Amino acid sequence: MRPLLLAVLAAYVVAAIHSVLAFVNKRRALQRVSQVALAVGFILHTAALIADWILEGHYPLFGLRETLSFLAWTLVASYALVLYRYRTQALGSFTLPLVFVLTVVAVLIPASGDAQERSGLSATWLFPVHTTLLLFAYGAFFVVFVASVMYLLQERELKLKTFTAIFHRLPSLTTLNDIATTALAIGLTLLTVGIASGMLWSSSRDGLIWHNDPKEIFAVLTWLLYLLLILYRSTASWRGRRAAWLGVAGFALVLCTFLGARLMGGYHVFG
Amino acid sequence: MAIVLVGVNHKTAPVEVRELLAFSREACAEGLRTLVDGEVVREGLIVSTCNRVEVLTATAGEHIAEGSKRIADFLTRSRGLPPNLIDDLLYNHNDDLAVRHIFRVASSLDSMVVGEPQVLGQVREAYSIALEAGTAGRVISRLIHHTFRVAKRVRNETGIAANAVSISYMAVELGKKIFGSLKGQSVLLIGAGEMAELSARHLVNAGVSNVWIVNRTEDSAQRLAQELGGKAVSFDRLSDYLPVADIVICSAAANEYLVTAAMAREALSRRRNRPAFFIDISVPRNLDPEIGQIPNAFVFDIDDLESVISSNIREREREAERAELIVDSEVMQFQQSLRVMEIGPSIGALRQKLQDIARAEMARQRSRLGTLTPEQEQAIESLLLSTVNKISHPLMNRMRRSYNAGDADSILAWREIFDLED
Repeated sequence: MRPLLLAVLAAYVVAAIHSVLAFVNKRRALQRVSQVALAVGFILHTAALIADWILEGHYPLFGLRETLSFLAWTLVASYALVLYRYRTQALGSFTLPLVFVLTVVAVLIPASGDAQERSGLSATWLFPVHTTLLLFAYGAFFVVFVASVMYLLQERELKLKTFTAIFHRLPSLTTLNDIATTALAIGLTLLTVGIASGMLWSSSRDGLIWHNDPKEIFAVLTWLLYLLLILYRSTASWRGRRAAWLGVAGFALVLCTFLGARLMGGYHVFG
Repeated sequence: MAIVLVGVNHKTAPVEVRELLAFSREACAEGLRTLVDGEVVREGLIVSTCNRVEVLTATAGEHIAEGSKRIADFLTRSRGLPPNLIDDLLYNHNDDLAVRHIFRVASSLDSMVVGEPQVLGQVREAYSIALEAGTAGRVISRLIHHTFRVAKRVRNETGIAANAVSISYMAVELGKKIFGSLKGQSVLLIGAGEMAELSARHLVNAGVSNVWIVNRTEDSAQRLAQELGGKAVSFDRLSDYLPVADIVICSAAANEYLVTAAMAREALSRRRNRPAFFIDISVPRNLDPEIGQIPNAFVFDIDDLESVISSNIREREREAERAELIVDSEVMQFQQSLRVMEIGPSIGALRQKLQDIARAEMARQRSRLGTLTPEQEQAIESLLLSTVNKISHPLMNRMRRSYNAGDADSILAWREIFDLED
């Protein structure tokens, strides 16, 4: 699916560039180009994933290459949801460049993985469910992260009365807070079910639901932090700066969870 | 024909001179009828506002210098000014520069505050006066209609009018940055005062649902409450209303803080920490600046509002750069359309000239043909004319295509070849 992914990459780079330009110049025409390019890229990307699934015979979420591609797809879907619901393009200028980078790396990495191990793992439906749910959770937490960063920036402008170019381009505090709150709820739900499905799958494989593996530890830490955040938010109508900082910190944990296995070994290394 | 614009604005002349030059509606109409003589100055329009007095004319191409002088003299004489008073203050633009100037003026790029909305209406008014006085001919009309299009483009495609540059509108703009939509929000007005009233009015227009007014004098509170569709509240109930007010505007003349940090803290807590926006336009300040230290409470005094305005003006100026590019491209388009407009008659003139040549030759050679019956005369004339028409038919088509495509250069070339007069 090389040529298809290259087309996807082309669409994403156009979308990313126009999104950043639209943010800086505030021109609607640029925003429209970005949206159209993104839609084209997303449709092609979906087609590529489905084609991979059918042609290779297994769910396209295994190994670094497929994970990065799927993650990029998830981020686009998350951004599209935010755009649809809240009508604010600002997140695009942060999200789309990352999507582009992920897709570039995915294209450059050669396909790998022990075919036997791969088919063995994917034979049960629980594994793909587990990984997909977690990836969707990461997408949601990324939205929380970006919204939190923008909230902190905008709140700073208003508190310190600086009013730089950023002030004129970021959305309102309320919008950013709403995005972060909703994404948090979605993310935590997905993470909970994702971890649970992982435990189920693992117990069917070797009877254990816990291996003291770095990825598992980070995942639970992440879950605890976001649980703390959601409880903190629920104690008042509004939680401003502190909640935003927690949203940023949570994403650091998400990164550790995502990269933990690859960097630190343990049970969760699957090719 | 050439376009000549002469005038003064707030950058070249002080207000004392501008007010001497100002034209009333009647003076405009009368002045235009005097100025436009049909020979030198063929069409005219006067724009007279508090920031500028400008005369826009279509002048005969060969009399540009005379036209400019005529306009300058007209301004001095018709307003009864001492001679030489405005000589150094007048600016004088021809053709491209004149077109660019009127485009910029109508797009509010030449105004004291870039992006202000009144100037376009003022230009419209000036045009309608000129139409009534009969001095807005083909050239000026085409120019003014193009001007309206340019102003609309600038307004729609750039953000020069996007940000507030007045204190009273700040409440809406900042409110939107904090709350997103203002629909369903509540405003508490402490004290009365024009600025606060105006702010409250803007907020109501932006969708605010509840307006409460606190004032020491019950009457003025009641009156304002009625106008804004709100409710007057007695001063001792201030702390009751603080928790429910999303926006608090204070414009009282008290000597101490009417809302202390402690009161605000209590209110925020009772609001379950929902953001609260305080605007203090009183001097000395009546809202404790310490309120700004409370999480989710934002307080702006008059200096803070001024600094947002400066930032907005900088944004507008950045947008103005983009607007200038739009004006540049529209100037070129207008010049092109003007040349095409003047060239339309050439096609008919060329055909006429060729037919004239045919008839002239016929007349010259007539004697050689002897006596002819009317039918024969008719036949020969038809023969000549149809020959000429057939020869020139492809040329006519070409010229018409060039005219429709706006290609003035080709048409000018053919005019030269066939030696057509202007």
